[in-house]
Amino acid sequence: MIAAVRAELVKVLRRRVLVITAITTIVFAVGSAAVVLASADPAGGRPSGRGVTVESLSGAGGGTEVFTTGVSFAGTFLFVLFVGVVAVEFSRGTFRTMLMHQPRRLHLLAGKTTALLAFAAAVLAVTEVLTWTAARLLAPTQDVATGRWLSLDSFGLAVADYGSVVFWVSGYALLGTMLAVLVRSVPAALAIGIAWAGPFEHLLQDAWGPAGRYFPGLLLEAFVAGGTSEVSAGRALLTVAAYVAVAAAVAGTVFSRRDVTA
Amino acid sequence: MNTTHTTPALVTHDLTKRYGGRAAVDNLSIEVPAGVVAGFIGPNGAGKTTTMAMLLGLVAPTAGSATVLGSSLDDPASYLGRVGALIETPAFWPGLTGIENLRVLATLSGRDPQRIPEVLDLVGLGGRGGDRFGEYSLGMKQRLGIAAALLGDPELLVLDEPTNGLDPAGINEIRRFILELADGDRTVLVSSHILSELEHVSDWLIVINDGALLYQGPADGFLGRVPTMIALAPEHPADLDRLAALIRADGHEPRRDDGALAIPVDEDDATALAAALNKSAVAHGIVLAELHTRRPSLESQYLAAIGGER
Repeated sequence: MIAAVRAELVKVLRRRVLVITAITTIVFAVGSAAVVLASADPAGGRPSGRGVTVESLSGAGGGTEVFTTGVSFAGTFLFVLFVGVVAVEFSRGTFRTMLMHQPRRLHLLAGKTTALLAFAAAVLAVTEVLTWTAARLLAPTQDVATGRWLSLDSFGLAVADYGSVVFWVSGYALLGTMLAVLVRSVPAALAIGIAWAGPFEHLLQDAWGPAGRYFPGLLLEAFVAGGTSEVSAGRALLTVAAYVAVAAAVAGTVFSRRDVTA
Repeated sequence: MNTTHTTPALVTHDLTKRYGGRAAVDNLSIEVPAGVVAGFIGPNGAGKTTTMAMLLGLVAPTAGSATVLGSSLDDPASYLGRVGALIETPAFWPGLTGIENLRVLATLSGRDPQRIPEVLDLVGLGGRGGDRFGEYSLGMKQRLGIAAALLGDPELLVLDEPTNGLDPAGINEIRRFILELADGDRTVLVSSHILSELEHVSDWLIVINDGALLYQGPADGFLGRVPTMIALAPEHPADLDRLAALIRADGHEPRRDDGALAIPVDEDDATALAAALNKSAVAHGIVLAELHTRRPSLESQYLAAIGGER
């Protein structure tokens, strides 16, 4: 599997990819910091879900709360990104090429996913630092106090927030990988992915409140938001973990057994 | 050709692949000796690519078994390290250069990336390895596919329609290249539906149609199934009967063939007999407008084998 990880990193760690990623990360960090700070509710008390208040942002975890809140809006984008990255290997025929050089299919799929997640984790770490920095620079414009952002507690909260976001991204990544392995076509996988992660689950939630307790996209949103009125963060984590385990099993089984004809 | 090996490079027993009710490969039992260039011949849709995909572990057989380099088809990982393959169209990452594409595959298979410049030179892409794959012509893509197949210096090379998209000069180069690759102990299995491509490089032939085996064995054996013919025609059609009588008197039985006569002969005797017939015709006042030897081509043999279906 290590060989598959390293091979995927050869594709990812190219100057072109790194430059695009760096620019996107900087724009995202500055943009999301500005938007989250500007939209902070000046009233006291933290509402449920993604809502942030000036009071919560002024706490020890305020700096990284900007990061988690900003990233949580990119869920559909990340899901679609993983769907596309995996599905394109089928439609382009490059999985066929790779399987002739690495016939252990589970190693190949696991290695590819691990490498992409490792890259995502690294990008998220940089994004967290950049978002925190941008938020600290912009905070005074929104009357957000940053005195406690460098306290000892803030480091613990930053690590916890980072772990939550990495888990959240991993959930989207594995669900996206499963969808791509099942569908194999980029347009079809993207259409299904966007429809599901975007409008479908949210419409369902509007029609049926408890949907937030059962559907993976809503659970991932609830988890990264630290829980909602429908589901606690802990329960969301456990349910998503179950979904991820099933997704990994389905993707692995289908990928290792199905004919590769494209 | 080196046929001193005892273990065949490839053996299949009743290998079958069905898609619904249709058999793409139908109880195919073949054996390819090690060290040969084996031409795998059949029209489009005959089952060549599906057979190769099964041998490479990409497609699971519906029934039957096979061994590749002595290892069971059930465990492709046990033999694919010694096999290089180009199957269907070459598929690479368009944003990566030729070198980067090969580096991905070398890393994936645990091979030494130091070999990349060597294989690029071997396929004539030495100066273009730094260009993006997406900018390559079809012929260059095909060459990169062959370079990828050669990364591991394989014992068995499986090439599926390797001349697709190449111009005549490129086709000729690949043909020469296949012969170079087959020097020594390497076995090459190369498929094509353009029979003339394989005629001069194959010393072993597997001919299939509709997924079923029509012939396997030495190329000479397949080509020898239809005799060499001498075709001759008089300048004046009125002399045709006299010419036929002369040939019969010489102990041969001519067949009429649209204003000409055709005589089946042994390949070795063809030139001498053609000269003798020419002399005899001239001696009897018959001027020949046509006299030539038709040696069997792979295409004529193939058409005969499939009963003239094409």
